[in-house]
Amino acid sequence: MEQPVIIKSNARGIRLIMDPDISFEQLKYEILKKFSDSGKFFHNARVALSFEGRNLTEDEEKQILETIAECTSIEVVCVIDRDAGYEAVCERQIQLADELRLGRTGEFYRGTLRSGQCVECESSLIVLGDVNPGAKIIARGNIVVLGSLRGNAYAGAAGDESSFIAALDMDPVQLRIGSVYGRSPDRGAFYALKNRRKTMEPQVATVQDEQILIEPLTRGIFQS
Amino acid sequence: MSEVIVVTSGKGGVGKTTTTANVGTGLAQLNKKVVLIDTDIGLRNLDVVMGLENRIVYNLVDVIEGNCRIKQALIKDKKYPTLFLLPSAQTRDKTSVNPEQMKKLVEELREEFDYILLDCPAGIEQGFKNAIAGADRALVVTTPEVSAIRDADRIIGLLEANEIKKTELIVNRLRMDMVKRGDMMSIQDVQEILAIDLIGAVPDDEQIVISTNQGEPLVGTNSLAGQAYMNICRRITGEEVPLLDLESKGVWSKFKGLFKKN
Repeated sequence: MEQPVIIKSNARGIRLIMDPDISFEQLKYEILKKFSDSGKFFHNARVALSFEGRNLTEDEEKQILETIAECTSIEVVCVIDRDAGYEAVCERQIQLADELRLGRTGEFYRGTLRSGQCVECESSLIVLGDVNPGAKIIARGNIVVLGSLRGNAYAGAAGDESSFIAALDMDPVQLRIGSVYGRSPDRGAFYALKNRRKTMEPQVATVQDEQILIEPLTRGIFQS
Repeated sequence: MSEVIVVTSGKGGVGKTTTTANVGTGLAQLNKKVVLIDTDIGLRNLDVVMGLENRIVYNLVDVIEGNCRIKQALIKDKKYPTLFLLPSAQTRDKTSVNPEQMKKLVEELREEFDYILLDCPAGIEQGFKNAIAGADRALVVTTPEVSAIRDADRIIGLLEANEIKKTELIVNRLRMDMVKRGDMMSIQDVQEILAIDLIGAVPDDEQIVISTNQGEPLVGTNSLAGQAYMNICRRITGEEVPLLDLESKGVWSKFKGLFKKN
């Protein structure tokens, strides 16, 4: 090969074609050089990456990804095999990653989360049970608790402030959506418990004017 | 068939040791063969509550390290011949024992006893892990205070994670007058958060302090706390016993109640 490393790219993917005969250390250096030269071109791009021309071990793949992350602002969303309908695969993978981000998919958690327990989720989260004080739930998307939310909940964990948190019984210690925090009134845990029954109705928390707004969960609330 | 029961709470000072002493003594009163193990190495006090401190020769760590046989370390109770105590070591710490060793010890005792009660130390570290290692069943003790309930909740989560299937709740030091005024959580409030089966509620009773000072568990006596503990023991053995009416404070208040009605 004339050049030890060749980058071929389209809007959604980068193909990295590598010389099979040079040493891995040499290869890493060439990749570093190549991406440093052309890094600006890929400014902040979110791409799918494929490796060609050389069989890499998992560890080598990881090292190359780290090298790319260090010297460019490219975000490699996923690594794919080169054969299967290349661009379609790129498109589909990125779409999947986006869906996760937008909270269009979700996971269920069945059971009560007790103090000290924590559930994190890359998509939206639906808890079938209670979230007790001292427990924590974190989701990139929305959170729905089919039970009492008495602990901490953090929706839109990647910064999406259009996320919401809904619960059948909303009595959290602290809520966070994106970068906006809300905390419970200062009345002490005992009186929080005593007062709860009066306000027991499904509620939903959203961000409005940089503040957490909690309102009753009524028909049509998600239409607006 | 023997059962290994750990008495635990997370928070300190809610009454684990008092509960262990009274439940153990109560089971012995029901003619069961019982051994109490104090797993709070370095801060032993089950022996004091049982009034057996002066009889200690060997302890839990001696047994584990093979300095003596189990039989030599077991202390027979003053009153009940089927009740034994395996005291903790005072000059060592929790790292002297590991969960595997505890499991092995408990397995050995199973052959000899109907009930093996483990008094767990406060906290969730090594001592807790040792205590729950060989247990089939857990009694979680809490008081109706928010801090104790938070810790009990954490403990229940850890017990679930360690696959101890049978976990039951004891609400200790309940004051019905305060509950009525709305200044204390009721049993229902506590249960709503912790969501596990209740095996008993014990009223706040000054007789407990007196009995602890004397080193004589009060289970089975006429005091409200004594009755409550006995009911817990009977429920442990599988009997169905209705919850004690904690509001009637004995014969005198019943009389007063009569007069009020008229």
